[in-house]
Amino acid sequence: MNRYLRSAACVAWLLIAIYAASGHAANPFDQKLSPEKRITHLLNRLAYGPRPGDIDDVRRLGVETWIRRQLYPERIPQSPLLERKLQPLGSLQLATWQVYEGYMSGPAGMMMASAMSPSRLLAADQLVTFRSGSADQRRAILMAASPAIRRQLLLSLPAAALQDLPDMQVAAFNERAAEKDRLRPPLTEILTPAQLKTLMSGTEDEKTTLLSTLSMERRQQVLRQVEPEAVPEVFRREVVTLGQPAQMPLIELIDSKLYRAIFSTRQLEELLVDFWVNHFNVFSGKGPVRTLLTSYERDAIRPHVLGRFRDMLLATARHPAMLFYLDNWQSQGPRDDETRSGLNENYGRELMELHTLGAGGGYTQDDVVAVARAFTGWTIHEPGKYGEFFFNPAMHDREQKVVLGHTLVRGGGEDDGIRVIDILARHPSTARFIARKLAQRFVADDPPLSLVERVAVTFTKTDGDLRRTMETLLLAPEFMSDGAWQAKLKSPFEFVVSALRTLDAGVDDTVPLAQKLADMGQPLYGKTEPTGYLNTSAQWASSAGLLSRMQFAWVLTAGAIPGVTVDARRLETGNAQVVTLASVFISSPDFQKR
Amino acid sequence: MTMLTRRSFLATTGLTIGALGVAPRWLLRVAAQAQEKRKILIVVFQRGAADGLNMVVPFFEKRYSALRPSIAVAAPGAPNGGIDLDGRFALHPSLQPLKELWDSQRLAIIHAAGSSDPTRSHFDAQDYMESGTQGRKLEDGWLNRSVPLRRDRVSPMRAVAMGPQVPLTLRGSCGAIAVDDLSRSFQLGPPETAAVLERLYLTSSDVRLREHGKGTFDAARSLAAITKQPYTPANGAQYLGEFGRRLRQIAQLIKGDVGLEVAFADMGGWDHHTNETQQLGFLLREFGTSLAAFARDMGERMTDIVLVTMSEFGRTTAENGSGGTDHGHGNVMLVIGGMVRGGASYGEWPGLEQEQLFEGRDLAVTTDFRDVLGEVVSTHLGQNVAEVFPGHGVRASLGLLRS
Repeated sequence: MNRYLRSAACVAWLLIAIYAASGHAANPFDQKLSPEKRITHLLNRLAYGPRPGDIDDVRRLGVETWIRRQLYPERIPQSPLLERKLQPLGSLQLATWQVYEGYMSGPAGMMMASAMSPSRLLAADQLVTFRSGSADQRRAILMAASPAIRRQLLLSLPAAALQDLPDMQVAAFNERAAEKDRLRPPLTEILTPAQLKTLMSGTEDEKTTLLSTLSMERRQQVLRQVEPEAVPEVFRREVVTLGQPAQMPLIELIDSKLYRAIFSTRQLEELLVDFWVNHFNVFSGKGPVRTLLTSYERDAIRPHVLGRFRDMLLATARHPAMLFYLDNWQSQGPRDDETRSGLNENYGRELMELHTLGAGGGYTQDDVVAVARAFTGWTIHEPGKYGEFFFNPAMHDREQKVVLGHTLVRGGGEDDGIRVIDILARHPSTARFIARKLAQRFVADDPPLSLVERVAVTFTKTDGDLRRTMETLLLAPEFMSDGAWQAKLKSPFEFVVSALRTLDAGVDDTVPLAQKLADMGQPLYGKTEPTGYLNTSAQWASSAGLLSRMQFAWVLTAGAIPGVTVDARRLETGNAQVVTLASVFISSPDFQKR
Repeated sequence: MTMLTRRSFLATTGLTIGALGVAPRWLLRVAAQAQEKRKILIVVFQRGAADGLNMVVPFFEKRYSALRPSIAVAAPGAPNGGIDLDGRFALHPSLQPLKELWDSQRLAIIHAAGSSDPTRSHFDAQDYMESGTQGRKLEDGWLNRSVPLRRDRVSPMRAVAMGPQVPLTLRGSCGAIAVDDLSRSFQLGPPETAAVLERLYLTSSDVRLREHGKGTFDAARSLAAITKQPYTPANGAQYLGEFGRRLRQIAQLIKGDVGLEVAFADMGGWDHHTNETQQLGFLLREFGTSLAAFARDMGERMTDIVLVTMSEFGRTTAENGSGGTDHGHGNVMLVIGGMVRGGASYGEWPGLEQEQLFEGRDLAVTTDFRDVLGEVVSTHLGQNVAEVFPGHGVRASLGLLRS
């Protein structure tokens, strides 16, 4: 009896063991991806999909070597094609004050198309004189300039630069009036009635023909006086450049984002810049953020994506784009009468909820207030002009604060904010929150907990070294598992870029592509809320989304997107079937996944 | 053809309309006839936490203007003052167009409404209000769960979100679609390509793509038919702005008789931490004008329609240091419709005295948002509240709707 029982127990135990083993084996994150899928998976996850030749490259290098190379982007030679594409984008390398001077100052921006920026016309010390010098000093500079330069200066200098110089103000007014007539003569004087009718109500083709036959000067005179939507897509960029130069920095930033995603050989770096810009989202439509974004991405995010999390966190906290977007630049300590608060909680809350600890990361409303108080005085020096960080002690709340149990003693000043950054960057909730979000982006919408834990451990052990953190994530077996295979739905941006890469499309204008992305619900730098776009697939699964993707595939392969040329046409097979196949491929369910 | 039933119509469309590309308008009408008299629920979400205390102003509260020295709406009668409703509450002056709905008893107000969850995170609060379940996040939303079950095949357009994405509240087992722009083409490439793609999607192993693919092809056919006609709102209704465009499209779908039962439109930009007075004025003008235009455009059909507005939480009773307000708690909900017992406010007013505030700073919540929605869902749509809002006990009815 006893023996019978014991053997029954043995059998039961065996059954449980087998069941457990099979259950274990059934976990798709434990199943290795078959070799033929691995390269495709890699290029769909650590790149915006394969370009022709990429698969051979990975095969030659081996998967792990390819991953390690991508973790050191500076060692990968950049694509000369990309460098040629970026070279003409003049605003990308400018400091924010230069962007203001080059694109924003001057009357309504309109003159800037023809007038040179003062920063190109004058020496640096002369520029300083124009900002702060006496009337006589400024007059002396103007009088010493040649007539041509003086004319350019009068056209482009801000009104403040001519203060207390009445004769110069009159001269500037006259120059500008004359310039306006030259740039924007009445359309009835430069177009025949028939041409005017075509411009107002002609078809796209008729408008294209008309505009292409005008001389360059005439065409520009016309384009300065129309809305971008009123002309065929090929001319829209020209309309913006001529009429709204203030839009150019953002347009060039979008250019650079698309060109880099499509052509960069350092694909992982671009994915990470996209990830972190989205993590620390700011909205281009809020006040001067549009102008500050160039520096935000270049100076606060890009240098740190494989560096230290804490450095990126601090760089975003101090950047005018973030200070303005989440209102911290206005937040201040108690005012003199002490009955009204000067505080603005917006940044303090989102810093913990979205940037570091995550909702449920263990902070209270009291912590929100304490963090907001710590950051009072972190503000912007003349946000509409220079856009630089500065600490204003007069706005700072000097009293003691308690943040997540840490006491910031009275009188900490600017360091209060830095202390908070250090506390948050090293908090265990932050490690888990960041680890999970990265795993969601690179592995699956609902990543295995054990993977998240391992990534979080690396994050903590290395004090937030993001290169080491990424290494743990990307070399983990879960990354190359059945569970990860095609588990993510592409965002519209990933969809569009991967379609262009797969077809080896040539791109000479990104404005129409950016418009298509906005139509698909993902305007670049255009997410209003500080969450950024969600990391998971549910957001992008919709019939409206599929509809616009299929329509995109159709116009793309038909060669109907201005500024984009597609392989199927370049091959000049003249074979309608090739075009149809390409369209079906890009519209297919499989291509929507990565 | 004369005896075409709805069922055979739907079976036919699946096979042949794909080739034709477009379904004739009259055919769709046949399909929709049985549904024409269906009740319709429209949900409007003000994302970003709208300042309910300045939308519907408790001007009788002594502390109201003291808490908001620079952003308080002036009392009725003062220059640019609120619009008196009942001697206690006043509409923000930019909501003037809604006064007519109040006077004709088609607008009810529920103040100090919201969720009992104390979160001041936009995103958690929106998730919770969209799923309608406290404490646990469901994959589907209450609005999807409130779509009545139908035994036969149903219109692909019965649950529609205006915008490029299906919001959480409309995700779930009843297929919902998102429509961004009815004026755009709904052709999915040349007919033969579209047919191949439809087969690929309907046989995809990915459930999400299969379902949304099906919705895409079905909806494209419906939409291609109704959007051929230019739409002119009735009774001189004038919609305003992007929000107005969305409501106008809902009106177009309702009048197109495509079988719409629930619709969702959101409006963003309410997170006024700074410079609130100016921004709120602009937004409320767009909001109020468009809601009034919708009611005007719908005319008699408002009898079959209930429209509810909501926002994830309210804002601090006191203004902050930048002429704005920070994240708060209780807020105001509006209910509009022909069967609404309007011209009245519902729920208990908690007061603005210091000891009456939630956590000493925010308007308290006295009416759970699920009580408002639950009543609409049960009285208007005939749904079981316990299934739409699991875990939320049935409370005494507010009496918002005439049955």
